[in-house]
Amino acid sequence: MNELLKMEHITKHFGEVYANRNINLSVQEGEVHTLLGENGAGKSTLMNILIGLYQPTGGEIYLHGKKVKIESPKAAVRMGIGMVHQHFMLVEAMTVFENIILGSKKDSSIFINKEQMKKDILELAGKYGLDVELDKTITEISVGAQQRVEILKALYRGAELLILDEPTAALTDIETEGLFAIIRKLTGENKSVIFISHKMREVLAISNRITILRAGETVTTLDKDKTDGIQLANLMIGREMVPSHYRKVTAPGDLVLDLEHVDYQKLHKHSGLNDVSLTVKKGEVLGIAGVDGNGQSQLAQLAAGIIAPDAGIVTLKADRISKFAPNGFILSHVSHVPEDRNKMGLIGNMTVRENLVLKSTEEKRFSYGRGALLKRKSISAFALDMQKKNDIRCASIEQEVRNLSGGNQQKIILARELENDPELLVAVHPTRGLDIGAARYVHDTMIAARDKGCGILLISADFDEILNLSDRIIVMFEGRVMGVYTGDNPPIEEISLAMAGKGK
Amino acid sequence: MEAFLNWNFFVELLLSTVRMATPILFVALAETYSERAGLVNIGLDGIMSFGALIGFLIGFRTGNPITGIAAGALSGIAINMIYAFCTIKLCAPQIVYGMALNIFAPALASFIYRLSFSDTSTLIQGVSMKAVPIPVLSKIPIVGPVFFNHIPLVYFAYLLVPVTAVFLNRTKAGLNFKAVGEFPKAAETLGINVTLQKYIASIICGALAGIGGAYLTICYTSTYSEGIVAGRGFIALSAVIFGRWMPTGVLLACLLFGFCDALQIRLQLLSPSTPYQMLQMIPYLCTLFVLAFFGIKKSGPKANGQPYYREER
Amino acid sequence: MKQNDNLTKVIIPIISILVAFVIGGIIILCLGKNPIKAYGYLFSGAFGSSRKVAQTLVIANPLIFTGLTAAISYKCGVFNLGGEGQFIIGAIASIFFVTKSGMEGIPAILLSLLIGAASGAIWGAIPGILKITRGLNEMIVSIMLNYVAALFMGYVYTTLLRDGSVPQTYAIPDSTKIAVISKNFPIHWGIGIALFLAFAGYYFLFHTSKGFKLRAVGLNATASFFNGFPVNRYILFSFIISGAVAGLGGSVELHGKQLRLMDGFGQGYGFDGVAIALIAQLNPIGTAIVAFIFAVLRKGASTLQTGMQVPTAVVDIIQALVIIFAVAGTALLKLPSMKQIFSKQSVKKEGTNKWKLF
Repeated sequence: MNELLKMEHITKHFGEVYANRNINLSVQEGEVHTLLGENGAGKSTLMNILIGLYQPTGGEIYLHGKKVKIESPKAAVRMGIGMVHQHFMLVEAMTVFENIILGSKKDSSIFINKEQMKKDILELAGKYGLDVELDKTITEISVGAQQRVEILKALYRGAELLILDEPTAALTDIETEGLFAIIRKLTGENKSVIFISHKMREVLAISNRITILRAGETVTTLDKDKTDGIQLANLMIGREMVPSHYRKVTAPGDLVLDLEHVDYQKLHKHSGLNDVSLTVKKGEVLGIAGVDGNGQSQLAQLAAGIIAPDAGIVTLKADRISKFAPNGFILSHVSHVPEDRNKMGLIGNMTVRENLVLKSTEEKRFSYGRGALLKRKSISAFALDMQKKNDIRCASIEQEVRNLSGGNQQKIILARELENDPELLVAVHPTRGLDIGAARYVHDTMIAARDKGCGILLISADFDEILNLSDRIIVMFEGRVMGVYTGDNPPIEEISLAMAGKGK
Repeated sequence: MEAFLNWNFFVELLLSTVRMATPILFVALAETYSERAGLVNIGLDGIMSFGALIGFLIGFRTGNPITGIAAGALSGIAINMIYAFCTIKLCAPQIVYGMALNIFAPALASFIYRLSFSDTSTLIQGVSMKAVPIPVLSKIPIVGPVFFNHIPLVYFAYLLVPVTAVFLNRTKAGLNFKAVGEFPKAAETLGINVTLQKYIASIICGALAGIGGAYLTICYTSTYSEGIVAGRGFIALSAVIFGRWMPTGVLLACLLFGFCDALQIRLQLLSPSTPYQMLQMIPYLCTLFVLAFFGIKKSGPKANGQPYYREER
Repeated sequence: MKQNDNLTKVIIPIISILVAFVIGGIIILCLGKNPIKAYGYLFSGAFGSSRKVAQTLVIANPLIFTGLTAAISYKCGVFNLGGEGQFIIGAIASIFFVTKSGMEGIPAILLSLLIGAASGAIWGAIPGILKITRGLNEMIVSIMLNYVAALFMGYVYTTLLRDGSVPQTYAIPDSTKIAVISKNFPIHWGIGIALFLAFAGYYFLFHTSKGFKLRAVGLNATASFFNGFPVNRYILFSFIISGAVAGLGGSVELHGKQLRLMDGFGQGYGFDGVAIALIAQLNPIGTAIVAFIFAVLRKGASTLQTGMQVPTAVVDIIQALVIIFAVAGTALLKLPSMKQIFSKQSVKKEGTNKWKLF
């Protein structure tokens, strides 16, 4: 095989911070080359250089043996490099067809020649087994279909090297198989794929070679056959990672949350709930497994009392939760770690101190007369205490929260939500975008809360996280509960099938 | 009341509607281009007043209405560049800069007016445009005089509607342009120069809004007075929302508001006992009711109003 | 860093004002006049004697009210551009009350002010309600209402409450005029209300729990909602409070200065208030200060015109330039690239820090 791409001694820094240092990467034609590394290791920066969004501060790039400078995304496309981002770059209001032809300069006509262009696209799609419906808008198609559109977009522009960034994050096992089939067709036609992922199973299944990045530098490049998941994980982290083993709870306490035959917009397959019944007890973790987009967000919001069900009953301890008492759920000790910490959990422009007391400003310890005069000193003291106890890394508590790293932001939310010893914690994708260290901290903290008696409703698309933390597991698919399983030695095969809709 | 049943009255009313909708149409189309590229510009009133002044001034000095209109366009572009630079390059909040334009531009216009004309107490007569009837078509009963006997600028305004529609819906450039207002980051990754598109949108917006203002002092009346804009910029903003950011919808909205404007003037004559101020409220109340009943929650280009931070290279 | 932030919040308006003055000086130069002399006239016109200072305060008074209207509402994320309409409606309600009720003296004044505030609150609630229930753009609604209010006022002083042949209303009865502080300092006590509101506004926003929550809603309504804040209620509250302040301002202006409604009452105060609030970075006390500076410019402008024949429009331009620079300055400093220069610690970019693995 010939070498398609070589990145040599690539360095990129922002101010004093080095995102990439002396990185070497080589990709052959027709190869699936995985780039492995945890969050913050420098993978995104490296790929952004490859697609022309960033310019390296040092190093060279060679395509087909010739030195090149990739000066802009346009240039990257011209050179045959295409990327499928983790968060799709698709315009929701436009159709599949429009998204594919957007910005392309295939012919010089001013007007869009629909018939001809559609024909060309369908031909291309057929060649690689990409099943797409050209006239549907992006909001109307599934996540898997959206991904196929992104791949087709790159191929339509003549990509020879396809970069896939965490492509299986939002796919079921079956859709992942479909993706792998497409990848094999691509490499069969001598196209190359850079596969970015941290899911060991998949990496070992699809890759030819694996390059590991850590802290902005290349660790090593290995052949798939010469390594295994444990070695890769250790190389990724840089030390022997003792996998966490939390003891499972089999005899939890009283009922904290009870959903009985709850419906919520039940006709919406991807954002509704259909006859959902489940319970969470004190001192146990109920894990909701399932690919994102099967009603999990709505379930979380129902449990946290932010929305009200269309039918059925949501009971918190002994009181009903309804939407007309938005403060009610706080008083009843329901804490919520939302799925998007910046949009939903924190006020980005406010300081660490302010975010830590966001909900508690009317408490006696923080103000006189239920909020008539804030006790500045008490609040600051509390915030400093929280910062120390939870190891929140920030320059000062007066720093604006949006300038903190993801891990530290999540620590603030957890600190705030767990501070008053809640009885129920609803945690949605709590470790999304966090590096392994921060994720481990989050897990330890949650289990500690559980052991203190908190009931936890855990929603995550990371199956390993669910397996690791849950005492009981429920699978959700298209708004329905597919099955309840024990977290102690759970039947993984059965659960995987349930997540794809093939259940009991 | 018998006047209402008079055929002539109706034709006159429709004719007037078309004429009075024109300045609003210019500005509404201006804002449509701007918002489709993601820039909410509430400084339209300000741009209009500046365009009104410069257009009037140049028209007066040269005696030629066409140069006056052209000057209006250029001045609109110039003043909108302040907004464009601050919102595109500095990523400043668009609402704030729009407001700054509304405050700054009329002040500048007023200043220049005082400098140019020493006697500011009387209304100076400026230049005006003559109507150009389209041969044959203008002879069709009813429809003829209503649609085909206008000054050229009116034709231009109405022609802009199909031109804009074709641009947005049928051309590649239009598709790329729309993407900038929907998902600028995606557009950038596809090689579309988001910054350039936004500047182009601002130039078009400034030009059309400036023409709209100049129309008021050259075609609608032939004089300049402060306050001639009378909030039309904001009415145009609601026309864009009401018209769902599409040229045909915007046209309908503008015709509706033009109708209100035309109606209230005639009602003043017909019904002298009704206090004229209450009648003058009609266009504004109409805007309110239209918005309230076709209450639109959160639609329009997805990235509208959001500053675009370009990744550093 | 918050300390740096507070410093910049004060420096930017100051620098903008200075730069605007410099440019104004250049314009004056181009007109063939001496800028130093001109500014001398301007400041002496505004500060020359205690009488003059009082007259400046008279001009500042309504601007403080409308400035606070804008500042409070924007701080809560709500763009109340209807200050002018709310101001006028307050005055209309007051003059109706005073003319029709026949009440006298201080109780009449107090009641009238209350009615003015309440009317402004209602006029301000309209865009608020439409925003919450129908998602309407409150800017357009509030501006439409400005025109409606102004036209209605026209109807009032030309027809309903007309006083004789001149298009203006009756004057309010003498006993309902707000007294002046002293002969040598002829500003009415309404200024006390304005300043009190400025401090009260500041206290409310930064020292109470409700104010804190309102600010949170203004910064991130979604997160506020997810944290249990009744966002819609708070939005409506912001409209009502800011409308009330403007309505009160209209009443105060009626009872303290204008004494009757006529053409031009309240004109321009709404947008001026917006400009003032923006320059003052939405800080209530800063708003009062900037309002005073604007008043200085206006008072000085007429002295400048009579003394040196410099057209008042020059001062308008200076005013407008202050706005542009102040807002540009804030935006410039908020740019991510600028922030990197100012903040030495770039905690966000997870770079290579081998020991930072946790």
